[in-house]
Order: sequence, then C-alpha cells, then structure tokens
Amino acid sequence: MPLVQWCYDLGVSQTLRDSTYLFAVTQALHVLAVTVFVGAIAVCDLRLLGWGPVGQSRASIARGAQRVLIWAGLAVLATGIPQFITNALTYYQSPLFVFKMYLLAAALLFTATLRWRVAVADEGRWPSWVPRAVGAVSLVLWVGVTISGRLITYYG
Amino acid sequence: MSSIVATFEWLEGLAWTTALRESPYGYPLLETSHVAFIVVFAGLVITMDLRLAGLAFNQAPLAQIQQRLLPWQIGTFVPSALTGILLFCVDPLRYYRNVLFLAKLTFLLLAGLNALAFHIKTSRKPAEGWDQDSSVIAMARLAGVASLVLWSLTIIAGRLIPNNWF
Amino acid sequence: MKMKTFLGVLVLGAFGAAKPGFAHHAFAAEYDATEPLTLTGVVVTVDWSNPHSYIHLDTKEKNGEVKHWMIEIAAPSQLLRHGLRKVDFTDGMTATVKAYQAKTDPTLANGRLLELKDGRSFYIGSVGGPNDGAETQAHPFLQ
Repeated sequence: MPLVQWCYDLGVSQTLRDSTYLFAVTQALHVLAVTVFVGAIAVCDLRLLGWGPVGQSRASIARGAQRVLIWAGLAVLATGIPQFITNALTYYQSPLFVFKMYLLAAALLFTATLRWRVAVADEGRWPSWVPRAVGAVSLVLWVGVTISGRLITYYG
Repeated sequence: MSSIVATFEWLEGLAWTTALRESPYGYPLLETSHVAFIVVFAGLVITMDLRLAGLAFNQAPLAQIQQRLLPWQIGTFVPSALTGILLFCVDPLRYYRNVLFLAKLTFLLLAGLNALAFHIKTSRKPAEGWDQDSSVIAMARLAGVASLVLWSLTIIAGRLIPNNWF
Repeated sequence: MKMKTFLGVLVLGAFGAAKPGFAHHAFAAEYDATEPLTLTGVVVTVDWSNPHSYIHLDTKEKNGEVKHWMIEIAAPSQLLRHGLRKVDFTDGMTATVKAYQAKTDPTLANGRLLELKDGRSFYIGSVGGPNDGAETQAHPFLQ
C-alpha cells in the first residue's frame, strides 16, 4: 500500500494526471505497442498450429519474432507502467487489473519456457499435436491479456 | 448535409441501437471484441510490413510472409470492420462530429489504397523472383514503411476518439 | 464504530461498490481537477449510454438565468455496480451533482457524486479523476 501511494505521488504521475494530452497519448501508444507485440506472437502461434508461413521452419519464425517481441515488449512496458503509477490507487483496487497481471505473468512464463522450447526444437522432436496445442494456448493467453485489459474500463 | 444528420438521428433512435447504447454488457462486449480483432489483424499486418520493409523476418522469402498471412489478415479484418460498423450505428452523430474518427477513417482508407497499389504492381511478377528483383524489393520497402505508418496512425487516432478533442 | 466500519468494508468488498471508475479517456484530457463544482438543479434528462452517460442539468445562475449543463458520468455497467439505476431518474426531478469543470467547454462537467432528494447518494465518476474521496462519500458508513 505505501508503495502504491508512493507511485501515485511521483512527479511523473502528477504530470501525466494533469496533462491534457500526455496520458491519452500514452494510452494510444500502449495499444499500438500491444498490437505489434500480439502480431509477433500470432505469426509464431499460427506457424506452431501448422498455418501461416509454413514454408519457414518453426524455429526461424520464432527467432525472427523474438527481436520484435523484445522491442515491442519494452514499448508496452514503457507505456503501461506510467499508466499504472498515474492511477496506482485505482488500479490497485481493481480485480480485473489484478487478473490481467496474473494472466500476463502466466503468458510470459509460458512463452519464455515451454513455447520457446517447442518452437526452436527439431520439427520431429514432438508429436504434431504438441506444437499445435502450445500455439493455441499461447494465442488464447495473449488475446486474453488484451481482452481483460480492455474490460477494466467497464467492470473495474 | 442535413439529410445525413437526419439519417443518423433515425439510426440512433432505432430500438436495437438504443438497446446496445444503454446495455451494461452488450456494448462493452462489442467494443472489446472490436479491439481484440483489430489487435490481431493489425498485428499480423504490421508483422508483414516489418518483413516488407526489411526490418524483421528477413530470413523468410519476401512473398512467403506476405502471401501466407493474407487469409488471416482478411479473416480478422472482416469481424473488425463489422464490429466497427455496429459501434458506429450505435452512436452515429457522435462519430460524425468527431475529427479523430474522421482522421482514423482517412488513415484506414489510405492504408487500404497502399495495400491495393502494392498488390496490383506486384501481381504480374512471380513470387519466386521477388527476392532477386531489386524493383520489387524497393517497392516492398516503400509499401511496408507506408503501411507501418498508416496503420499506426489508424490505431492511435482510433484510441484517441473518446477524448473528444477538436 | 470500528465494527461498523469493518462491516462497511466487508459489504463494499462483496458488492464492489467502492471500486473507483475507469474510463475511455484520461480525466485531464478534458477536465480540470482544480475547478470543482457543486451543481444543484433540475434534471432535464439523462442519457443512459455507452461509453459514457450524461446528466443534463438546468441550474439557476446568480443573475436568475438558467444554465444548461451537460455532465459526463460513468457507463451503465459502472453506474449499476454503484447501485444507480436508470429508473432512479425522473425528468424534472431535483438533484445535486459534485463535478469538475471541463477545460474548454463552459457548460460541460465531469460528475463525481450524485445526491438525490430522498437522501441517497451515488458515486458516478467516469474517469480515474482526482483522489477526492468521492467514492467513499457516496457510502457514508465508511467514514
């Protein structure tokens, strides 16, 4: 709680709260960064599912997507964290926001561990249902994070 | 002009648009699905743009990413557009008078024209030869960068609509 | 007293009643947190609508002229959560709204707290907004 209050009281938070344009532009850039991120996730998941750019190996698509994911992920954080600290007191009490954070943690963990290992492994390493299942779970997790973020507006 | 306003007034007065506008669940679900479809659609378009511009996925042939993602882009664009049209019908006058909404539509139109121009210009060249053809590579770079900029502006303008600026 | 507060917190926790509002846009994009208003007047009509609802309120100015206010409040999903229903409004009723003035439009405001003649009060905030305690004011047993 004191940490949340400290975030709220920061100079940056105050500036964002009082500015006509800054906070709104941060929100818009956040959505753009999320879009780029989800795009790089989706192309890799489609490939895992056996669709999309099947002419390329799963590993090469996953490696290509990794760079995009890192840059877009940094942009997501750079636009997301200021939004959180600006309204830290409100977000702290929002069950949907907390849900989104847990889902995000699950999606990150899944992507960095199982999904990465399956994506870069030799194509014959696992029966074909494994990469398919991993692609489907990843897509559901990441779209789920996006959806729960949007719903905070309505159901806090 | 006034006939447009009259049509929009009629549209927003209909029973189903009114019900959606006032609903605690229907509207939030409609708007959320609009956002979710757009994020996947534009995400796949931007992924393709990054390849066309030579910024990522460069180990894949130029045409591979572009052609294999097209059905998925169309498949997510259609529901994005349908939910968008529904959202417009729920509150037509508000959008009609919103500069950022009109800006979003303009960027959307330009992005569509850019994609169409690229398809027409490359349609006669076999995909296998794209990576050896410097004119196609240059065209792809130009179309990719233009698409990145236009779709980014579409998303940013769209997200700024509710602030009622201008 | 402590027990009452405790019960209050429990009740609020259960119904999510004190959960502050979020909205589509930044508070400061349109409204000025340094210009609080208390408006008492006649409810002309209420637009119960997404993504924001509006109360149209006629107030009497000091010089006797009627001023028409458009007060942005939360979306139906949020208002219902805070216990306010569409049927709580009747056109022509008297109400008091605590709000913040818009930065550019002199007749636009962002509503925070609604007080009805029957003594009930509701949190109606639509955006993050200033940390002014409007949520807890709407639920006096928390104080």
